[in-house]
Amino acid sequence: MDARAVPPRRLWLLALGFGLWCTALVVVYSMHAMGCAFGWRTEVLRWSLALVLLVHLVAIAWPWYRYAKSAADPAQGETGAFLHEVILWTLPKAFIAVVLTLGPVMLLSTCI
Amino acid sequence: MSAPLEPTTTPRRALRLHRELTAIWATGPGLQRLASVNHSVVGLRMMITAFVFMLIGGLLGMLTRVQLATPDGKFMEAGTYNQVFTMHGVMMLFLFAIPMLEGVAVYLLPKMLGARDFAFPRLTAFSYWCYLFGASILTGALLLGVAPDGGWFMYTPLSSNTYTPGVNADVWLLGVTFVEISALSFAVEIVVSILKMRAPGMSIDRMPIFGWYMLVTALMMLVAFPPLILASILLEVERAFGLPFFDPTRGGDALLWQHLFWLFGHPDVYIIFLPMAGALSTMIPVFAGRALVGYRIIVVAIVGMGFLSFGIWVHHMFTVGIPHLALAFFSAGSAIVAVPTAVQMFAWLATLGASRPRWDLPMLYIFGFFFVFVLGGLTGVMLAMVPFDWQAHDTYFVVAHLHYVAAGSFLFPLIAALYYWLPLLTGRVADKRLAVPAFWLTFIGFNLTFFIMHLVGLRGMPRRIYGYEALDGWTWMNLLSSVGSFIMVIGIGLLLIDLLVQLRYGRRARRDPWGATTLEWAMSIPPRSYNFASIHHLDTHGDKVAPATIAPALARGEGYLGFTRNGWQETLGVHMTSGQAEQLIVLPKSTYLPLWTALAVACAVLGFLAKAYVVSAVAVSVVALLFVVGAQATGHRSDLGPLPVGRGVSVPPHTEVASSPPWLALVFALVADGTLFVSLLFGTLYLWIAAPNWPPSATPQTSLALALGAVVILALAAAAARGSLRSQLADRKPQLWMVLAALLLVAAIAVLMQLIGGVMPLPREHALGATAAALLSYVLVHAGIGVLFLASNLWRTSAGYVSARRTLDLRLTRLWLDYTVVTAAIAMALVLALPSLVGMLGGRP
Repeated sequence: MDARAVPPRRLWLLALGFGLWCTALVVVYSMHAMGCAFGWRTEVLRWSLALVLLVHLVAIAWPWYRYAKSAADPAQGETGAFLHEVILWTLPKAFIAVVLTLGPVMLLSTCI
Repeated sequence: MSAPLEPTTTPRRALRLHRELTAIWATGPGLQRLASVNHSVVGLRMMITAFVFMLIGGLLGMLTRVQLATPDGKFMEAGTYNQVFTMHGVMMLFLFAIPMLEGVAVYLLPKMLGARDFAFPRLTAFSYWCYLFGASILTGALLLGVAPDGGWFMYTPLSSNTYTPGVNADVWLLGVTFVEISALSFAVEIVVSILKMRAPGMSIDRMPIFGWYMLVTALMMLVAFPPLILASILLEVERAFGLPFFDPTRGGDALLWQHLFWLFGHPDVYIIFLPMAGALSTMIPVFAGRALVGYRIIVVAIVGMGFLSFGIWVHHMFTVGIPHLALAFFSAGSAIVAVPTAVQMFAWLATLGASRPRWDLPMLYIFGFFFVFVLGGLTGVMLAMVPFDWQAHDTYFVVAHLHYVAAGSFLFPLIAALYYWLPLLTGRVADKRLAVPAFWLTFIGFNLTFFIMHLVGLRGMPRRIYGYEALDGWTWMNLLSSVGSFIMVIGIGLLLIDLLVQLRYGRRARRDPWGATTLEWAMSIPPRSYNFASIHHLDTHGDKVAPATIAPALARGEGYLGFTRNGWQETLGVHMTSGQAEQLIVLPKSTYLPLWTALAVACAVLGFLAKAYVVSAVAVSVVALLFVVGAQATGHRSDLGPLPVGRGVSVPPHTEVASSPPWLALVFALVADGTLFVSLLFGTLYLWIAAPNWPPSATPQTSLALALGAVVILALAAAAARGSLRSQLADRKPQLWMVLAALLLVAAIAVLMQLIGGVMPLPREHALGATAAALLSYVLVHAGIGVLFLASNLWRTSAGYVSARRTLDLRLTRLWLDYTVVTAAIAMALVLALPSLVGMLGGRP
């Protein structure tokens, strides 16, 4: 029996994890620049950046959890299984990338 | 009267089929070669042209080594030296590396994917001509002594009018932009062709790994090149018309150039690496005699690498004064980008380790790749550490690193790929008697040249200096480096001789000399103009085919489209994920139009260089006209419905389906366009937050009524375009809607021109005015292009190319105008917000 075709829009999910890593970097970098330019208090700036970091970690963790809990749709055959697996693997890698890249937010001096 | 659309059911012999297909697909002799749009012809041209520029760029590099071989070198004067080392970098990166990988992709991809050509043959040809003419302008400037001389990355303020008053910088800005337009065109085409034009049965999980590499690379190109194009346009506008985007005395910022440049520049090096990694992933399993280990994890690594490479550009700017916290982001990112690279390396090593590899000629260069690239990667991680980078920045350590990664990631795999695929191109195999010594001389010479640069850099030798003193203590190291470079040149020379000998006297290759497992070997060698006499139905993985088994059946016409029909150049379009045959694509034939269009672009560029702006304006109008004219003869004048394509399958032509290649092409072109727009937004906001001399003395003001009016008129134009589509779908005449939409766009253009004329502060006085003018001009250009879309729609509707089933033209216009409205709204919002943003600056400590 022929497998059901995976909708092409599913391919965009390959970009989900690392796409969120990109937005995390952009938002944190921009907010940091504005916070330093406008003299935000150190604690306010740091916690704002940490909040952005946390939001993005949750945004990646949620689909990771959903994908890890679910199995590929068997009706979509090998193609569905392949995409499910590859999308699933991008998510923890993006999560770790967010932690490692933006973790310094919690540690370093803000505007020196 | 055309032949019936039903194919005959009489089995065709291979030779008769070959003759019929050749008559349809072959490039004509003599001057007709200039009209060729065939991917094999254009791909080969790209590779040969890029190779020539590699040799010229290499010669320029040798000139620098002669200059630096001894202290107080008198070989060249400083001004000449600046042009030589700048053009060495420009040629190697813009005129060799990117075009070569594009040429490889253009030549190989359709074959590997089981298609007959790329999605847009005329665009392929246009892209080549743009590359050739842009490269010629840069090379011509070198011969005339007015080549760019500010380093291959042209930092401001050195490249501004104040410090580079001559035409040198303009040559870079315009020439490189010309070449980048070519690259963007290729990128759109590669993405669309990979997604839509594979052999039926080649689902996305069965695609050869090279396809995944090129897909990610092309998507990266769509997002990486626009920031550079924007930066080049802004700097050229500053130099030509005085708008101070990068002039700190008038609210600009020299660092904005660095941000925009490296937003392109860092992904660029991965764009250069990934296709070669794809080649390695294709070659290594063949010589290992087993399948690639970790296909899926490699796909994940490629995706990760594609994204991570965009988030680490500031590691080229560690010393500009950015706060430590921000530096830490980019330092960490620059370190972790090594992880997906390492994943691929380990996958290759695992593939080799789990087998008994054949140490054939390409494997020598693959060994060279492993050695050189690992060293380059290690120094890259060193440079990712900020404290170390602060010592090594702008020294020869960085020169050493970049050559190790560039040669490691590109040159050595490229030569391996050359020897691997040369039998396919030429039908002949290499002789090891020259090839093996060539490798060792190149390898030893390369390492001698560039390894020592790490040491001389750590001893403090800066980049880009044209001389040094004996007391500096760099003498013997530079001399050894220069000796090494001559050894390397002898190796490259032997390689060149070997290639020529192979072409002329090489032993004839059998069909699949390596025992490969990908589709490009399932054809005659050298390949025919049509690639496959019939298109294969893939029932296995694209990296595990048996070319020897498939080829005879395809030659006999037993696959899809094993016949000719109406003299059409036919190939198949497939569903993006499943690979199911979905549409019949009829491709355009040879035409001089791409050549004329590229020549018109060249005239526009030369006009700008000569400050003959009227000439440029006329040339741009000619380009626009040629694009509209070029669209007129495509498609069909009647609804055809499903057409038989062989193997009992019938599919509609691409003009009658929703997800056709032109639709996808516009989607991805808008991704690139949107990136340019976002870069412009970034530039505006960056100057607001970081540039000196803000706020301006003149209060910014924009007419709210005009701004809102422009957006409303554009929205009405978009609505009118939708009206034309609705009318056509209901089989009513859409022309009135099209005319209305065009008139509304003209009105919007008039309002936008009024807005630009009223920008305060004046664009020449302060960067705030300049960025507001740039944002409004962006919208104006898009409205103008919308008028061209509608003119084409009117023309083609009248000519019968549009119907209720053939609505592609109208859907493209709808998409373009929707995009124009959205970007206009954002641009207007920012322009209107500028006074408030300027007001906020008073609150800065």
